[in-house]
Amino acid sequence: MSTQPRTVVITGGSKGLGAGIVQSFLDSGDRVATCSRSATPLTKEWESDPALADRFLFIEADISDREQSTAFVKAVIDRWGAVDVLVNNAGVARDGILALFSDEDSDTVIDLNLKATIHLTRQVVRSMLTKRSGRIVNISSITGLTGYRGLTVYGATKAALDGFTRGLAREVGSRKITVNSIASGYLKTEMSHGLDGGQLDQIVRRTPAGRLGEPDDIARAVQFLVDDRNDWLTGQVLVIDGGLTC
Amino acid sequence: MTDFQGSILSIVTTLLERSDKGDLTVALDTAIHGDGLGLDSLETAELSAMLEDEFGTDPFGAGLMPETVGEIVDFYTEGEASVPA
Repeated sequence: MSTQPRTVVITGGSKGLGAGIVQSFLDSGDRVATCSRSATPLTKEWESDPALADRFLFIEADISDREQSTAFVKAVIDRWGAVDVLVNNAGVARDGILALFSDEDSDTVIDLNLKATIHLTRQVVRSMLTKRSGRIVNISSITGLTGYRGLTVYGATKAALDGFTRGLAREVGSRKITVNSIASGYLKTEMSHGLDGGQLDQIVRRTPAGRLGEPDDIARAVQFLVDDRNDWLTGQVLVIDGGLTC
Repeated sequence: MTDFQGSILSIVTTLLERSDKGDLTVALDTAIHGDGLGLDSLETAELSAMLEDEFGTDPFGAGLMPETVGEIVDFYTEGEASVPA
């Protein structure tokens, strides 16, 4: 458990990897705010848990809508004063080869994975600048490093996110704000449901660790990156993929 | 000195102290950048965020680029922003 509860904002925390990260920070005694387009049984469970009454905030918000994104960040700051940790997890994947990909799907993926992340981070980093401290983790993907057939646009947004990480780390490093990416491998979450059984079997065969990842594999790495003591680790892309890309 | 002037001078002074520039004298006609306070872009962003925290809006966020401390005060006193009374 942390010595002092931190205020942690995790986008897209209602299910899958995001929910795993939310649970990790609730377990470490922190205050957690998350958002997604709609509530899930899990967010309702957290909201109704008396033990989390002062430590969990869920707001229905589509952060690719800038007004909703702004309202979400404002609600967190109004409630808890400032943001200590931001985990940019919200993302969407649309699979299909580029030659058959629709402009609408491209817009959906870029709007959420990249533009919404930049907009929300800009608001949070202003809060972090006023107190001159903060931790930002962007959930990226190995598809942004290696490419993956059928995930061209998704991979492009994740590669861009890694570039965003490095640029922002340089901008705010002098203010004790660290910015890092986690390039996640393939997890057992809904995000990998676009891959068929054959593709998943192939991924497992090629993964030295011999399995798909679990949300907690990533959550532990997030906790490491946001540890107060890790103030000399910034601008990096940490690959957590069971060794698939080694 | 008005309340706005006092609050804004206090915010600027706090920022300068945090930036190891506490020995600078701040007045309404002091330039924010260059030979005045010499704020760089990141310090300007901090000032913008601190003003927004205090007043709910700030001239930089509104797309303006005030050149002096007095011009920041003017932004609030000239009714260009919805500032709490």
